[in-house]
Amino acid sequence: MTALTDPRDAQVFHFVRHSYANGVAELVYAFDGGPELIERIRFPDAPALPAERQAAFEAALRLLHLVAGVSYYKAGATTQIQVDDGEPDTATAELLDALYQHGLAEFGYRNGLEMHERVRFPRHEETIDAAPALGLPQRTLVPIGGGKDSLVAVESLKRIGAEATAVWVGNSPLIAACAERTGLPRLNIGRELSPLLFELNRLGAYNGHIPVTAVNSAILAVAAVLYGFDSITFANERSASAATLEYEGRQVNHQWSKGFTFEHTLHHYLHQRVAADLHYCSLLRPYSELAITRAFARLGNDYGDVFSSCNRNFRILGPRPADRWCGQCPKCHFVFLALAPFMPKPRLLSIFGRNLLDDETQAAGFDALMEYEDHKPFECVGEGAEARAAMATLAQRPEWAEDALVKRFARDIAPQLSGQNLDLAPWLQASPHHLVPPRLVAALDIVGGE
Amino acid sequence: MKFGGTSVATAERWQTIGKLAASRRAEGVRVLVVVSALAGVTDALKALSAEMDGGKRKHAAAAIAERHHALAIDMGIELPARVAERLESLAHLAADGPAAGQELAWQAQVQAHGELLSSAMGAAFLSAQHLPTTWVDSRDCLKAVALPNQNERTRLLSAMVEATPDAALQARLAGQGEVFIAQGFIARDDAERTVLLGRGGSDTSAAYFGALLKAARVEIWTDVAGMFSANPRQVPGARLLKRLDYLEAQEIASTGAKVLHPRCLSPLREPRVPLLIKDTNRPELDGTEIGPHLREAVTSVKAISTRKGITLVSMESVGMWQQVGFLSDVFNQFTKHGLSVDLIGSAETNVTVSLDPTENLLDSDAVAALAADLAKVCRVKVIAPCAAVTLVGRGMRSMLHELSSVLAEFGQLRVHLISQSSNNLNLTFVVDEDVVDELLPRLHELLLRSGSLRSDDDVQFGPTWQALYGRGEAQMVPGWWRGERQRLMNLAAERSPRYVYHLPTILERARSLKTLDAVDQCYYAVKANTHPQILKALAAEGLGLESVSPGELQAIDQAVPADTPRLFTPNFARREDYVTALATSASVTLDALHPIEQWGEVFAGHAIMLRVDLGRGLGHHEKVRTGGSSSKFGLPIEHLGRFIECAERHNVRIKGLHAHLGSGILDAAHWGEVYGQLAALADRIGSVEILNIGGGLGVPSHPGEQPLDMIELNRVLSEVKATYPQYKLWMEPGRYLVAESGVLLSRVTQLKAKGEVRYLGTDAGMHNLIRPALYDAWHEIVNLSRLDDAGTTLYQVVGPICESGDVLGNDRRLPETHEGDVMLIAQAGAYGAVMASHYNLRDAADEIVIE
Repeated sequence: MTALTDPRDAQVFHFVRHSYANGVAELVYAFDGGPELIERIRFPDAPALPAERQAAFEAALRLLHLVAGVSYYKAGATTQIQVDDGEPDTATAELLDALYQHGLAEFGYRNGLEMHERVRFPRHEETIDAAPALGLPQRTLVPIGGGKDSLVAVESLKRIGAEATAVWVGNSPLIAACAERTGLPRLNIGRELSPLLFELNRLGAYNGHIPVTAVNSAILAVAAVLYGFDSITFANERSASAATLEYEGRQVNHQWSKGFTFEHTLHHYLHQRVAADLHYCSLLRPYSELAITRAFARLGNDYGDVFSSCNRNFRILGPRPADRWCGQCPKCHFVFLALAPFMPKPRLLSIFGRNLLDDETQAAGFDALMEYEDHKPFECVGEGAEARAAMATLAQRPEWAEDALVKRFARDIAPQLSGQNLDLAPWLQASPHHLVPPRLVAALDIVGGE
Repeated sequence: MKFGGTSVATAERWQTIGKLAASRRAEGVRVLVVVSALAGVTDALKALSAEMDGGKRKHAAAAIAERHHALAIDMGIELPARVAERLESLAHLAADGPAAGQELAWQAQVQAHGELLSSAMGAAFLSAQHLPTTWVDSRDCLKAVALPNQNERTRLLSAMVEATPDAALQARLAGQGEVFIAQGFIARDDAERTVLLGRGGSDTSAAYFGALLKAARVEIWTDVAGMFSANPRQVPGARLLKRLDYLEAQEIASTGAKVLHPRCLSPLREPRVPLLIKDTNRPELDGTEIGPHLREAVTSVKAISTRKGITLVSMESVGMWQQVGFLSDVFNQFTKHGLSVDLIGSAETNVTVSLDPTENLLDSDAVAALAADLAKVCRVKVIAPCAAVTLVGRGMRSMLHELSSVLAEFGQLRVHLISQSSNNLNLTFVVDEDVVDELLPRLHELLLRSGSLRSDDDVQFGPTWQALYGRGEAQMVPGWWRGERQRLMNLAAERSPRYVYHLPTILERARSLKTLDAVDQCYYAVKANTHPQILKALAAEGLGLESVSPGELQAIDQAVPADTPRLFTPNFARREDYVTALATSASVTLDALHPIEQWGEVFAGHAIMLRVDLGRGLGHHEKVRTGGSSSKFGLPIEHLGRFIECAERHNVRIKGLHAHLGSGILDAAHWGEVYGQLAALADRIGSVEILNIGGGLGVPSHPGEQPLDMIELNRVLSEVKATYPQYKLWMEPGRYLVAESGVLLSRVTQLKAKGEVRYLGTDAGMHNLIRPALYDAWHEIVNLSRLDDAGTTLYQVVGPICESGDVLGNDRRLPETHEGDVMLIAQAGAYGAVMASHYNLRDAADEIVIE
């Protein structure tokens, strides 16, 4: 076998092959003629696959191979892509082009690479029959991330009496604890990246953010066919569709694979190519971050001491608030600010273990959220106007008004916002756009309820 | 003597009671035993009295009867007639239910049965065990008084008794026997109704009896030996408090300790009846004795406690506070919203009060509504979550100067409120809640070190909780030098001062590091001790070596083989230093933007480690804390983005992240936090393969400090590693490896008495060992010439340098010492010789390694 070399010098990225046996999917990639990079996805207690789902399973697995390749492709970001075990058809290639171009846009920005010029999947014309309905059982896979959003989705499903399983990918004590607290049946899927990827990094590979929600979505599509679920309900909200900045005239969205465009594309792709009755959607899509934090304040009482949306302490579990919330990253700032209008102050402070809005050293972080004298941070956080509306609301509340950063907002920032609507109410309205199947639509109303 | 519910639940436990009562009887005193209901029975009776359904009530009463029948069989006695009677009356009460308007009185009657039953069981059992015991109805002795602020509910279910010595009762009981048993929790009111004493009821009953009978003492027998200087769950090194006065004990009970209800002390104060807390399972242990004790008391902080979940309301108004009625209007708002005020701090323009955590506070909008109302009359600010840290000790105001190190600790925090009561018993600081878990053990340690908590006074302080109930006082492993005394005496006779390092101790430490199998590579931080033999020995054990200067790199090159892993982690070093280091095999660590922004080309094509500052510092002294913005170490996280951009521009790969928060840390969880935070950061950088979580493994130096638990540390690290298996884990201990191996030998030069202070001069001073002067470090000091003699005299151990800070040890209790005696200063293997100076042009101590 040839030795590993710096993947930035590679010409071609190969999708080598994929296979599945005994609950383990193997996805194989390579740069040029280099060593094989093998990723394994482990499906625990995998049942035998019924014959009628065989074709759907192969279609989902093939999609997973192509989608999960993004973690490896980005190491070299080659201008040529080859799919060794059969070129995709045009529709699949278009989905992949979009995913690799938009999902790696931030990566491209960081590394000075123009992804729209680099990425073009090979394709061939082919007419493929629409996938039939498989009679999948009426139950739902609900991914758990450890943060507030997926817990709102869980609670809304529980309240309409839907049968659901809490699912997560990878090893995380925090997510496991949250999943356990939901009281739902649990499914923990294992994902092992090729160890050679770390070697490539050492050799100088490009690095950066990948559209991980797309990879997880493809994994869950395989799981849904394998275990028998008719729906996968993510918890991606409305503002996930907003761009985080513009680069060379193109919109860069840090969380593109959580956006509505990708949801829409994958939703139809799964219907067409995997199973007509496999529904992929987001339960929170019609809602703003503020509507969701309001829902969490109402529905999430049981999770105060286990959940965390913090990106820094994200996967570590500890008994104290500081173990779960670093208190310094944009996620901590945003979740704190967005929950504040809806939750009794002492309860919010007991969740975080401290008052971020009464800490002057955090001013720059909150300014960034409000897009004040700075642009939006590269993190999964709400829109600037939402942050401003939440802050303006707190400035009217006597129990918050004297806290250092709320006071500073009222004194220095609010006067510059005259003419802007700073009301909360518009943010609490649901938008009509969603792809939730009729069986689960009632859960949307639970999220949006008073 | 009072015994609680678990102590009266089985025949075996009753035998213990019998033995203890008989032993007191043998002292020639009369004994009155006060008991609670059998464990669980009070709760069952409460449930019964809240039950509306008569059938269910009967069923519950039958279950309670069954418990007592079973106990009688366990005791090997017939069911006593008095018990049978009580069970029958309980069955009736249960069947009938309350009469209209009599619900509360009925509840009290029902609940009183628990103690009436248990005491009757006990009287029969003890009498059968040849300890004739007279059953006394507490209701005939304890008379409840009606107080103006009581309503019907509190009068019946939470009654108060006025207990003053009652000669008639004393005489009546004296005529009835020698050993008595009575009920806790119950009394009778003016209307001859049975009433309950509420929370902490049985302890309070014992106190009432103690006062009425003017007892020699009241003994509360429980499952722990007494009160401790801090919550043992947070501070295993907390000391047993052997003697407290009533008010101190009451203060400690009110601010944290759960062992005694604060309410049961006040009846004893006036008649000066002492109260003793004892461990039923281990009666041989000293307990806590609470009494008048004022005269003999040595001033000391007794305890430190914390209460979390506190919300402060700060109210600001210019000139209003003096207006008649304003303050009372403000306080009425708290009443209106159902919030009760605890601490109060006031100034001319500001009044700040604290609210204890209650359901009402957390789950309702009470605070929002209160703030809205208050905002109409003043500026209001809600500060939370806070914690109150209280120091308790009589004469607190006279101890302030000794608390300087403790107060310095608060100097680094946001202190929202300080309260000092006029009875001079406590000092309370309200701080942000997130700091207290780490703060409490540290403050306890500082109190010990500063001598404001006089743990050396064995009249007031007993053993540590760890020694009594934990895994033993592991700290008490005697130093290696005790077994090498003669050899050391000979070495000191040749020359002094001199350092002696014990190689086997270093190797033992190196091997204990190997038990951390989550760690992929340990680097010894050579700055702690650069002796070539030590470097060789540690390299041979498989450790890498970490250096901070070209000089150290050179020392390493001269001492160890070329393939020993090297790490270079300088701080504010010159550009040339990096150039030098990059030419070696060492991994180079950067800890600032400056080098990569200004001299990026120096690092081009290299892979480097990056030291970040996670924004917090820990450690045993401010000067050894190396995290947080007041520390000069590490790249602040907010510069990470710029650093990465520069690194990419110069083709520099960040192969590892490093953080190091301080030194002398004894809490395993700390490294798990650092590790987890680094890993989460690394995930966002991408190129990282290695996480270096630094060193700072603490070495216990003080009596009462716990050594770092390596098994726990490994567990914590392994847990993080399971989540982030892709990263190699490095550590870089220094002091941990070598501190205990080294001693500094010196000889006594002169002795001096100045007023009450005795000075002991040695030929070693701050030029040889600067840690005591620089870090307030505590080193054990012994007189090696008189090692077996008892300590009789308190000495200031000082060196020969013309500097008033040249003090090696404060107030050390040593045998009477003479010129020429050999003094040994322990734990001097780290940061001893390497920090020596030639100040005063005095010679350095030489260094000897022994096998």
